Amino acid sequence: MRGRRLIAALLLALLAPGLAWAQVRFVEVRAPRAFGYFLGDLVETQVDILADPGFRVQRASLPSPGPVTYWLDLREVAVEEANVGGAARTRLRLTYQNFYAALDARSLEVPGFTVTLASDTRGGVTTTKAQVPGWSLGVSPLREVQPAKRDDPADYLRPDGRVARLDPTPALATALAFLSLALVALLLLARDRAWWLFAKRPARPFSAALRGLKAVRGRGDDEGYRQTLLALHRGLDGTDGRRVLADDLPGFLDRHPAFRAQGEALARFFSASRRAFFGRQTAAARESWPFAEAEATLRRLAAAERTA
Amino acid sequence: MSTPRPGDKMLTDWREAALRFEAEVAKAVVGQERVIRLVTLAVFGRGHVMLEGDVGVGKTTLLRAVARALGGAYERVEGTVDMMPTDLIYHTYLAEDGRPRVEPGPVLRESEDLSVFFFNEINRARPQVHALLLRLMAERSVQAFNREYRFPNLQVFADRNRVEREETFELPAAARDRFLMEIGMEAPREPEARRALVFDPRFHDTDRLIEEVAPGVLDHARIGSIAGAIQHAISAAPEIEAYVVALWEALLRPAAAGIRLPGIDMEALVQGGASPRGVAFLVRAARVRAWLEGREWLVPEDVRAVFPEVMAHRVFLEPVHEMRRAQIVPELCRAVFETVPTP
Repeated sequence: MRGRRLIAALLLALLAPGLAWAQVRFVEVRAPRAFGYFLGDLVETQVDILADPGFRVQRASLPSPGPVTYWLDLREVAVEEANVGGAARTRLRLTYQNFYAALDARSLEVPGFTVTLASDTRGGVTTTKAQVPGWSLGVSPLREVQPAKRDDPADYLRPDGRVARLDPTPALATALAFLSLALVALLLLARDRAWWLFAKRPARPFSAALRGLKAVRGRGDDEGYRQTLLALHRGLDGTDGRRVLADDLPGFLDRHPAFRAQGEALARFFSASRRAFFGRQTAAARESWPFAEAEATLRRLAAAERTA
Repeated sequence: MSTPRPGDKMLTDWREAALRFEAEVAKAVVGQERVIRLVTLAVFGRGHVMLEGDVGVGKTTLLRAVARALGGAYERVEGTVDMMPTDLIYHTYLAEDGRPRVEPGPVLRESEDLSVFFFNEINRARPQVHALLLRLMAERSVQAFNREYRFPNLQVFADRNRVEREETFELPAAARDRFLMEIGMEAPREPEARRALVFDPRFHDTDRLIEEVAPGVLDHARIGSIAGAIQHAISAAPEIEAYVVALWEALLRPAAAGIRLPGIDMEALVQGGASPRGVAFLVRAARVRAWLEGREWLVPEDVRAVFPEVMAHRVFLEPVHEMRRAQIVPELCRAVFETVPTP
C-alpha cells in the first residue's frame, strides 16, 4: 500500500512538468523586425502566451524592468489578458532598449525567460510555467546606408502604407451647416448693431422713445409724465442730431418734412413740456396734453419715421 | 394761467414801454432788430454794452438813438491814444479873463443824472483810461475833487471796430468781464434794408435821423427798480438751473462734454474764463428776455438767445487758437447748445 503511494507520487512528479507544459498551448515572440537596430533603439516586443482557460500570469514572475544584459535594458513591461477562442491569451508588451554599439552588422541573442501562469480553481491553485524562448536581434552600426544602386532616386523611397479612405461628406456638410448658422447670427448681430450693410439704415429715435415709454405707461404720477415728455424730447433730439428747443420747431419741420403732419401736435407738446419743466405747472400740462395723447403722438411720429 | 401778483401790472406796462422803445430805436436803425433787442435786454438788465463791428455799420447811430430814447443825461467821449483818465474827469482851460479854470469833465458834468455814457472807439484809449472805466462800470462811482461821485443810473456803452489793430489797446479781461454783452454788429443782409440805407436820403443825415426818435420813451430813473423787479418776478425752475450749470461746464470743459470741433484738440482749447459773474449776467439777461416775451419763467431759449453775446467774450482760448477766436467761439457756443440736453 505504502509502496503504491510512493510510485504514484513519483509518477506525478515525473508527469507534472509534462502536464504543466500541456496547459500552455503556445508561446510566440514577435518583434517589428529582426534586424536593423541601432544604438539606443527601442525594441517593442510582443509575447503572446496561449494557455488553458483560467490561467493568468503571475505578475511577480514577469521580468522586471532594468538591465537584462550589458547591452540590453528592459524599459517597460505591460500585460494584456484576454480570452481568445476558448483559450486564455496573455500578451506581454516588452520594451527593450538596445545599447550595443555595433561596429558591424551582427546578430545578438536576447535571452528568454520563464513566466508562471496560475489558475485559481476550486481544488486549489494550479500553476504552470511558460518558457519564452530567446530570440535574436540584428544590430547594425551607425553608418551611412548603402543600398543597392538605383537609377531613379525616387526608387529609394518606399511606398506609404495603405490607409482606408475616409468619407469627408458628413463632416463637410456639418461644417457648412454651422458656417451658415454663424453667418445668419452675424447678420442678425450686424442688424442689431447697425453695422456695415445696416449702417445706412437711419436710426429710429422715435421708435426707441416709444419702446422707452413702456416702462412708464403704468405710472400715473407726475414723474412718469415727465419721463414721457423726456422720451419725446430725446426722440426729437436724436432725429435732428441736435437739441431741439420749442423755438426750433419750424426749423425742425423744415429739415424733416416727414413730420410736418405732426407739427400741431408737436407745438402742443412743446408748450406742455415748457409748462411741466420750467413753469412748474405739471398738472396743467397734463391736462392740456394727457399721457394718452403723448403716446398716440409718439406712435404717429414713429410711423412717420419708418416711412421717411 | 397763474395768479396775478401786485407787480404784474407794472411789469406789463413796462414791457409795453420796452417794446415802444425798441420801435423808436428801429426808426433810426434799420435791419438791426436782433441788435436792438439785445440792447433793450441790456438796458433792462442794467448791464454795460460793448458794440463791435465794422466801420460804418451804424454802431454810433444806434447808440445815439438808444441814448435819446432812453432819456436822461448823455455824455460821449472819443477814445484816443493820448487820452488820460483826467481828461474824462476834468477839463482845464484859460478863461476869457486870462485866469486858469478847472471844470468837471464829461463824466462829472451831469453828475448823478448821467444815464448813458458812450465811449467811442474804446480800444484806442490807453489802459489807464480802461482802469478808470472799470471802476465806473463796476461801482458806478468815481473819486474826484475830494469827494465821491455816484451815478446810480449809469449805463456804459462802448464801441470798437475790429478792423484796425495799430495803436490800439486790447481791453483787459477784467474790464471785458464787466460788460454784460459784447454785441457784434454787421450791416443788414436784407436787400430792402441795404437799398434804403444807400439810397434813402433819410439815412444820410444822422443828426436829423436821430431827431426822429422820440426822446425819453423810458423813464430812465426808474429802470433800476424795474430791472430789480424783473429779476425777482421771473422764476427759474430747478431744471433750468441744472441746464445753465451744464452749459457752463460744457463751455469750460468741452472735451468732457463730448463736444468735437473739426481740426481742434478739444482738450487744449479753452484756457479759462466764463466767470461766475458772467454766468450770473447770463441768467440776468435771460430773465429780461423771458419778461420781454411775456413769460414768468425761464426757458432754455432765453438762455440761448443771449448766450453768445454774454458768454463768448468771457471765454479765453489757448493762445494757439486765440487768433481764430472769431470762428471758434461761435462754433463752440453752437456746439454747446447742440450737445447739452434740455430739460
